[in-house]
Parts: sequence; structure tokens; C-alpha cells
Amino acid sequence: MESITRRQFVTTTAGLAGILASGVAPARGQTREISYLAWNNFAPASDKKLTEIAQRFTKDTGIKLKIDHISHMGPQQAKYASEVQTQAGHDLVEMRMHFPWLYEPQLVDVSDVVAEIEKKHGKAIPSAYECGHPNGVWRAVPQYHGMFVCTYREDLFKKASLKVPDTWEDLYVAGKELKKMGNPVGIPIAQNYDSISTAGPVLWSFGGMEVDKDGKTVRINSPGTVQMVEWYKKMYRDCMEPEVLSWSDASNNESIQQGKAGWIHNPVSAYIIAKQRKLVTADGINHHRSLSGPGGRHETDTPRFIGIWKFSKNVEPAKEWIRYLIGKREVYDEYIMSGDAFNLPAYEKLADHPVLRTDAKYAALKGEGVQYHAYGWPAPGSEKVQLITNSYILPNMVAKAVTGTSTKDAIAWAENEMKKIIAG
Amino acid sequence: MAISSVRAEPAPAPGPLPLSVRAREFFDREEILGPAFVTPALILLVLLVAYPFCMALYFAMSNAFIGRPSTFVGIRNFVRLWESDAFRQTFQNAFVFTGAAVAFKLVLGISLALLLNQQLWFTRMIRGAVLLPWVIPTALSTLGWWWMFNSLYSVVNWTGIAMGIMDPPGPNWLGQKYYAMTAVVIVNVWRGLPFFAITILAGLVAIPKELYEAAEADGAGAMRRFWYITLPMLKPVLAIVILFSTIFTFSDFNIVYVLTHGGPINSTHLFATLSRQIGLESGQIGQGAAISLYLFPVLAFVVWAQLRFVRKQAY
Repeated sequence: MESITRRQFVTTTAGLAGILASGVAPARGQTREISYLAWNNFAPASDKKLTEIAQRFTKDTGIKLKIDHISHMGPQQAKYASEVQTQAGHDLVEMRMHFPWLYEPQLVDVSDVVAEIEKKHGKAIPSAYECGHPNGVWRAVPQYHGMFVCTYREDLFKKASLKVPDTWEDLYVAGKELKKMGNPVGIPIAQNYDSISTAGPVLWSFGGMEVDKDGKTVRINSPGTVQMVEWYKKMYRDCMEPEVLSWSDASNNESIQQGKAGWIHNPVSAYIIAKQRKLVTADGINHHRSLSGPGGRHETDTPRFIGIWKFSKNVEPAKEWIRYLIGKREVYDEYIMSGDAFNLPAYEKLADHPVLRTDAKYAALKGEGVQYHAYGWPAPGSEKVQLITNSYILPNMVAKAVTGTSTKDAIAWAENEMKKIIAG
Repeated sequence: MAISSVRAEPAPAPGPLPLSVRAREFFDREEILGPAFVTPALILLVLLVAYPFCMALYFAMSNAFIGRPSTFVGIRNFVRLWESDAFRQTFQNAFVFTGAAVAFKLVLGISLALLLNQQLWFTRMIRGAVLLPWVIPTALSTLGWWWMFNSLYSVVNWTGIAMGIMDPPGPNWLGQKYYAMTAVVIVNVWRGLPFFAITILAGLVAIPKELYEAAEADGAGAMRRFWYITLPMLKPVLAIVILFSTIFTFSDFNIVYVLTHGGPINSTHLFATLSRQIGLESGQIGQGAAISLYLFPVLAFVVWAQLRFVRKQAY
């Protein structure tokens, strides 16, 4: 056995004692590792690209990145809640819409990273500010956004010589003919997010809102809401089928892909999937500009973010990943291109991105003159507004009205429910 | 006769017993062995049942929001919930859903158990197959049902229309409140029926054949034998099965979550699904916990009453 000198012994034991006392291994020779909870993207190629970029990131920086994917709807909320409650889990999390508001106290301030990125790519889009910038601090970095758009069967419209609608009233005119042709309008009126994504823009376009921008005053009982509800009632009666009351988030996509619906309101994923699966309907599907009403031309936007939990012990390496993915123009472009126009850049200078020129059917996504908002606009994304959204009060108000409750009573019901939440 | 006296040799002084023997003797003592067997189960109960229950109780009486400091609010959450239309609807749904599902499972379960108790071909295979709905993961099988009730692809409606018993397009299973409740009850009955049937079958097998033979000799028909022998002998088994099923059905989650997400207009929400919507999706942990604990006193009473009934039947 080799003998050990007194000096070697002292050096080794002192070093070990230091590591044990601090609980941190020495930086030299240590492999840094971070974990990232991402969603299953609606454009599956984007997930593959993310893995590819992550491997390059590890090669370039020496930071290992482990990406876990989770279903985009539902399970992620339980996962976030459990990670926050146990103060353990991933370092980075992908978030949508108001999540940075909900988890504000648990998220690291990433204003420095966003400032760097904004210098390169321009200001973040307004909906990203609405959702990711609570109380003047960036709690998550805007990653991309997927906007709602009018998706229609161009071939059917041409066949019946129907005018491509420009207003919600125009849609009613076209919708009546579509239903007669056996291709009804497909707007879900159920307990899902797509229902809110359409009910919101219709409400805003008729000049209504749920809660005022002070976040406290319930404004659902207004002439704008009456117009919105009346519009839904005649649409349901003359242009749609009762099945919309049972639809999930995927149903409108499936309906147009399978050749039934003639018009739906959805991000471009319906077309992307039809194209990828080579469905016979893919050629006939196109998109047109968002619809307007007396209150203007509004649309739902769903910004996505990357946030870093405060309990993470790897905040700096985590920020490095965000800078690498979003801050580097060439990497960000590559990532956006892989999303086939479902994932659009969340920064203003990149609004006219080359991805929009990869297919002539993405032209409507430029959205000139359209105001994009997150759920609950113009109220800020507080936890109470989030509860109003997640309680599906808006689609349930519409569902009540189209199934026999009077417009007045349906709105009164919604107002009452919203007021109770705001008071709570 | 000479009596020889034999002097007894003094017994050697007992030396110290080996450690293994002493350890065995120590653990053989009832006051040691009993607690030693019970402790692991107790630790598990404390960690997995008592601790979460106490936490839920604490959350239910606080204004807890995910990741934020909370304060004690007493029973405010419970009072506020009752003011919510969605909650009152959920309360009603839970009783309708549980009542209908348990009643159907009971009647059909007894019928199926009686059938399975008959000498049939492929008895083992059939008994195994009956268990399938109970064995398949609920979320997965419910997805199958979701496809069958789906407005676009409904095989139920397609078959009904093809057979001429439904007018096109057929019932809007998941979009109309009565149909939606019917759909979730059907799936719950389909899934829970094997539990009833197999447990009742075990009870049927245990009934002495002599009772039936004596009754038959006395001229009792099938109905009277069922009413006066089978049913009374099954009472303890039925009580336990109903007790378990009531609790499981009240707290069902998967079926409603996959099939209707609580809709249309909250008409199929149960405590578990509403609790998830409020507690996890919206971050209101306090209210979510209050929803899930709302029926705890009622269920605790049901458990107590039924167990008392079972004990009376047993002794």
C-alpha cells in the first residue's frame, strides 16, 4: 500500500470538509446540468429540433440539458403545482399565456435576459407583455406565439361562390350556406380553451369585455355582450350543429380535416397536420384575415414563455440556455422554421419572418390591423381573472343562451359568477 | 433390599445464551412483536394518509394559492363555495351520478354473479374476461368510450342509425346535459360492474348448498330461494361492496375528466374534477381542497353506519 504524506492527508481531508460544509462541488471539472420541462409542440418537428439544438448547446457550453416533454393541456398544471409546492423539479419550464402571472412569486426575474433579446430582435409583442411582465418585471422570457386565425375550406367557398368573410356578420351569411351544403361552421361552445379563444374575440369585436382593465370591475353585462350572445344564438341555429356543445380542443381541427366543417377558428395546426398526413382536405384548406365587428378587429394570441423556478440551483446555466435558444438569431430562426408557422417569433422585428413565406397559405398570419390579446383582456392577468377564465364562464354563458336560456338571464348568470370570483 | 442413594450432580450453571437466541426470545415477546409488525403499516398510514389529509384540512381552511404564503380563513372557503353555481351543480351531480351508478352496478352485479355462478362452459375464461373492464387503466378505456360517444365518429350513433332505432345524427351524447350524465354513468357502470360481480360471486359460492336443497325440498321456487336465502346471506358482502363503490364513485375523476371535462355547462362535474379545475388549473389550492373535503363528514358517517351494520350482521 502506498504511504500517504502528512501534507497530502491534510489537503485531501480539508478539501472534503469544504465540499461537505458548503454542499457544493468545486467548479473545476464539475459538469453543469439543467433540466427543462417543455410541452409537446403542436408542430411535432419542433420538438425534434429542440432536442437537436440542445445537443449543440451542450457541445458548445459544456452544460448538459435534459428536456422532458409533457402534454400541452391539463397535466402540465398539476406538474407545475407539484414542483412549486415541493420546491423541487425542473430548472426551466415552458409556460403559456398567464402562467407567469399565476406563478409570479416562484419565478426568477429574467428582465436582464429579455432586455438583451429585445436589443437584438426588437420589442416583445404586446400579448407577451400582457402575460409575462407582471408588475413591471419579466417573470418568463417570451419564446414564441401561436395566433388564432380563420381557417376555411377555400374550395367549398369557391364552389358555392361565397364571399370570404371580413366581419362576424359576413361569417353568418356564409355560414348559412355552408350548413345547407353539409359543411357547417365549427366553433366549439364547450368547457375547453378553444371555446374561450373564439368567444373572447367575438366579445371584443362587439365592444364587450369580461372585466375592466382595473381588474376589479365586472363589465360583462353590456350592450356589446348582448350583441355577441345574439350573434352566437343565430350562428348556432343557422350555421352550426349541436355537436359543438361537446367539442374538445381538437374537435374543430378534426372536423375540418375530415371534411365536415367548412369554417373553423383555430391556429394553423389544423392545416399543418392535414398537410403532413396528406389528407384530401389539405389542398382545399386556407386561412383568411381575422374578423371584425363594431368594436374593431381582435384576435386571441397564445404567447409561450420559458421561466426559471426560484428554487433552481442553476439559474445562470438556465439563463444561458434561453440566451442560446432565443437570443442567437440563427438558432432562433432555425427553431421557428421547424414549427411550420405554428410557432411564430414573439418579437416585433421578426414579425415578417421567412417562415410565413414557406407556404402561400400562411399569408393571413401577418395579421395587419388585428389587435392580439390574451384571455381576459383588457383586465391584467391576475389570479382572479385566471379563475374566471378557467371556470369557463364565457363559453358557459354562450352555451346557456344557445340552449334556451334568455340572453338577459345568461348574461346575468355570468355577471353574478364573475362578481363572486372578483369579490372572493 | 439395599437402597442405594444416588447423589444428584449439581446442574451446571447456565452460561450466557448466544446472541441469536436472545434476540429471538426478545422478539418473541408479544409486547415487542406486535408493535414491530404494526409500525411499518403505521408509518405508511401516517405518511400517505394522515399527513396528506391534515395538509388538505389545513389548505381547506386557508386562502392558499400555489406558491404564495397563506393565512387561516376558517370555514370561509366552504361558505363561499356554496354561493357558487358551479359548485351547487357539482354537488347535485355527485349524488345523481353516484346514486344511479351504484344502483345499476348493484342490480347488474347481482345478476351477473348469479349467471357466473351457474355451471357454464369456459367458466374460468369467462370469469377472467368479466374482470377486463376493471383491469384496463380507466383513462385508456374511457378514451375508447370517448371515441364511441364522439359527435364526429360515434359508433354508437352509427349503429343506432344503421339499425333504424335512431334518427340522424343521433343523440348528442357529450353535448347535452342529460345525455352527458347518462354517458358518464354508463362508463362508470361498465367499469365498476366486475368489482360487484366478482365480489358477490365470492359471497354466492360461500352459501351452503344444503340451505337450497332444504328449501327446494320444502317446495320453494327460484324467486323465494333468492329472496329468503341468497339475499340475506349476501347482505354483509353487499354492504361492503356498496360501501366501497359509493366512496369510489363519489370520488371518481378519470371518467368525467376524459369524457366531458365537467361539461356541458358544469352538468357532469364531480367533486374531484371541479377540485382539480379550481385548485390546480387556477392555483386556488385552498378552495380546491375545500371542494374535495366538502363531503368528508357525510362519507365518514356513511362508512361508520355501514361498518356498524356489517358488524351486526357478522355477530
